[in-house]
Amino acid sequence: MTERLLDISGLHTGYDGVAVVRDLELHVDPGEVVALLGPNGAGKTTTLMTISGLVQILEGSVSVMGRPVPKLRQAQRVARWGVTHVPENRGVLFQLTVRENLLLAKTRGRVDLDRAVEFFPALGPLMSRRGGLLSGGEQQMLALGRAIVAEPKLLMVDEMSLGLAPVIYEELMPVVRRIADETGAGVLLVEQHVDLALEVSDRGYVLNHGDLVMSGPAAELLANRALLDASYLGVESLE
Amino acid sequence: MPGERRLRNRPLAEQIALAVLAVVGAAWVVAALIDTPVFFQPVLFGLGTGAIVAALALGLVVAYRASGVINFGHGAIATYVTYVYVSLTDTGDYPIPPLPNPLAPIEGIGGIELVDFPTMVGMGGPMHPALAMTVALSTAAVLGLIAHNAIFRPLRYAPVLAKVVASVGIMLFLQAAVVLRFGSRAKSADPIFPNDPVDFLGVRVGQDRFWLLGTVAVGTLALWLLFRYTRFGIATRASAENERFSTLLGFNADFQAGVSWVLASVLAGLVGILVAPITGVTPNLFTVLLISSLGAALLGRMSSFVIAAAAGLMLGVLDQELFRLEFEFAWIPDIGIRRALPFVVIALAMVVRGETLPSRGAVQAERLPEAYAPPITRGRMVGYGLLAAIAFWVTVFAPFQFRSGMQNTLIGVILALSLVVVTGYVGQISLMQMALAGVAAFAVGSFGTSAGLPMLITLPLAVLSGLGFGLIAALPSLRTRGASLAIITLASGLAIEEIFFQRSGWFGLGRTTKVAPTPEIGGVEFGTTSDFFWGDGKIPTGAFGLFLLVLAIGCCVSVMRLRRSRLGEQMLAVRANERAAAAAGVNVAAIKLSAFGIASFFAALGGALTAYKLGTYAQDSFGIFVSLSVLAFAYLGGISTVGGAIMAGTLFAEGIGIVVTNEWFIDVGPYTAYVAGFFLIATAVYNNEGIDGFQRRQLAGLWNRLRRQHKAAPRNPPAGVGASNE
Repeated sequence: MTERLLDISGLHTGYDGVAVVRDLELHVDPGEVVALLGPNGAGKTTTLMTISGLVQILEGSVSVMGRPVPKLRQAQRVARWGVTHVPENRGVLFQLTVRENLLLAKTRGRVDLDRAVEFFPALGPLMSRRGGLLSGGEQQMLALGRAIVAEPKLLMVDEMSLGLAPVIYEELMPVVRRIADETGAGVLLVEQHVDLALEVSDRGYVLNHGDLVMSGPAAELLANRALLDASYLGVESLE
Repeated sequence: MPGERRLRNRPLAEQIALAVLAVVGAAWVVAALIDTPVFFQPVLFGLGTGAIVAALALGLVVAYRASGVINFGHGAIATYVTYVYVSLTDTGDYPIPPLPNPLAPIEGIGGIELVDFPTMVGMGGPMHPALAMTVALSTAAVLGLIAHNAIFRPLRYAPVLAKVVASVGIMLFLQAAVVLRFGSRAKSADPIFPNDPVDFLGVRVGQDRFWLLGTVAVGTLALWLLFRYTRFGIATRASAENERFSTLLGFNADFQAGVSWVLASVLAGLVGILVAPITGVTPNLFTVLLISSLGAALLGRMSSFVIAAAAGLMLGVLDQELFRLEFEFAWIPDIGIRRALPFVVIALAMVVRGETLPSRGAVQAERLPEAYAPPITRGRMVGYGLLAAIAFWVTVFAPFQFRSGMQNTLIGVILALSLVVVTGYVGQISLMQMALAGVAAFAVGSFGTSAGLPMLITLPLAVLSGLGFGLIAALPSLRTRGASLAIITLASGLAIEEIFFQRSGWFGLGRTTKVAPTPEIGGVEFGTTSDFFWGDGKIPTGAFGLFLLVLAIGCCVSVMRLRRSRLGEQMLAVRANERAAAAAGVNVAAIKLSAFGIASFFAALGGALTAYKLGTYAQDSFGIFVSLSVLAFAYLGGISTVGGAIMAGTLFAEGIGIVVTNEWFIDVGPYTAYVAGFFLIATAVYNNEGIDGFQRRQLAGLWNRLRRQHKAAPRNPPAGVGASNE
């Protein structure tokens, strides 16, 4: 088998030496959308930050396309391997214009601005507006648009729905699927809206209090709603 | 959120300022048409200085954008590189940067002769200017790299205070290096630009100014393009806003900062080299001009190259214009208005633009130095008593040079205490304390000597004068903080120095030396030369020293009590977080003003006592560079504790610590500023609690180990570890 796009095994990670996520096993292959689910404080965001190199690994390993994630000071290298991380607060730079934000999608080489507009036509007329002046939905479009033009091999999106109206994120969610299908990128999706996320995903993992409590194909997780809810509520015995 | 500020309309103050500017500008154009020599000539003359100020301002903006540091050492970098260039073109000698002789201090302290370290490398006779420029600018690049890698990268997340202190350290260090290496005389170089005079609108001026101006214009444009349109520039702006986001996008904020530091240093060096043939260069030329540049950069919010450069040019022009007007019209008082121009501009920039310096979105913020208040135990009281007894003995009975050192130390302690209160407890950086001291000192001359008032009236009056100035100069602190406040206080200090100390008219004697009366109360004289029944009778006698000792102990005890009082707690709250303090019901403005008041009191007291000690004195004792080194020593000793102030006092120029070193080890005299600058940087980067905090931790560690040996498991934490105050 070829190398996994993202391979996490036996991962313990957290802050100041205290593990927030324990013993995580997770992988993402090219072209698939994987949902990482769980209630508040489960450790989803911490996991993504660890993959991006912004949080120090305590134990275990994280490798992206066979390369281990570097130390904190070298975090920018992960992005250059083709990992694009859309953080929870979207990562839109408020002082820069939409165009400038998009230009930063790549550290070198031409950036295809039109492609972002093709996915999100609404961005077209906003090109010279500052990021800080966009609405929440526009900011999320910009963040996703930037992720698309970055032509990532692995795309990680953190809480896309946060602070957005349902009409907006229901429109954005299928875009993620489209990226995976069209470009063959692997997508790791962190979401609190379970149904919405699983609808577009191939597989899913459920974290609770830092432990992996469930995983499997999306359809299976959806079919087993009771178990899923129980895992969210942290019920001790699931048999 | 930073973006929201853009949404607001221009504030009223800014509109008014623009209107006033427009009216003044129009009036000037009319005047220039009527009387060209008076109103237009200065413009052309001022463009030279203006170009320098503008060019320095550009470098400041680059450094700020890249790493959020307001680099007070920028001018010193320019100076150092210029001297390297001059040395290369003159004799072809390359000085090993930046030490005069790296082994000299060791040789001196050890009293030994080591191998003669080559400190000047001959490069085969006078060098061609182009080659010399390349070598000098490479030196600048290396300085920039060192500044970034060794100093400002470790300080990335440090509080503003540490950054300001470190950059002041660079300034002191490089400037001392220049003086040690090249002497303090002015140097000049062969012209680079053609300097034949040309006629321009009926005014005859040297052509070189236009060349310089053109260079600055090209530089401004290039920087603007770089930061506006290149991916590097955009990404640097992104990192300034949020380092984490730019990292996620694959950009290396560290690398960007490093490149920008190199760029800023090379710019500084280039300015120096281009300007040296026109104005000549002295060790502190660029640092003095830097104050105007800081004003210009501040007007451009430390982020706009175009505004900063334009403001720099305007400052140069205005300076010449005011000079001409003062000369032309007798009714304009010769009080140095023009010297205070940077202050006026900075003050205006603050009022008009308010708190609009873009702050850096740091990933994490580091703690400020701990304002440690030792628990009062019997053992500690005995220790304090012992310390006072030793101080008493040294003050009265030790040989005369130690007595003199002790007097300097005691005054130094009081001066350092002023910074402990305002900077250590309230976190407001003040770079004007010696100017306030100077006001008091000059007042002693006016009230005591000229008016002949007795000391019991003179001393309070002098202290009140300093206090008054301090309170007025503190007003901007209500609207600004951090690095902006540091700049404003620096400019205030300069304004006070230029207007009040260097002119005749204000304090009677003007530029000449001032004389202070012999201190006496109720007919009993206790000056440094007065008879005293203890000691060996040599000058200085113990009389004045004893007076100082009593005052210094009183000041130390008051500051210790202040730290424990309700006011002290509120001060620390303001230091930690102004908004949180306000939300908790602390009147932030009142706390800041009272801190500045108390600090001004100590500074003024120190200044008045300096006057009495010296007997005769000039403004040099109270210049802005003295203010900077006072901050340096106070930070080195420990900015937030009384113990630190005492430590600072011993290190002070000719303080007891230095005297002891001189007497028992070696003469460190010429290296004082140099070594202080070095340790200041080291303190800022590696140990922000200064010597006092360092030894406290060492002692606490030792105490801990002893206890652990004594008892298996200590139940209480040892003194010095438990009580932490932020």
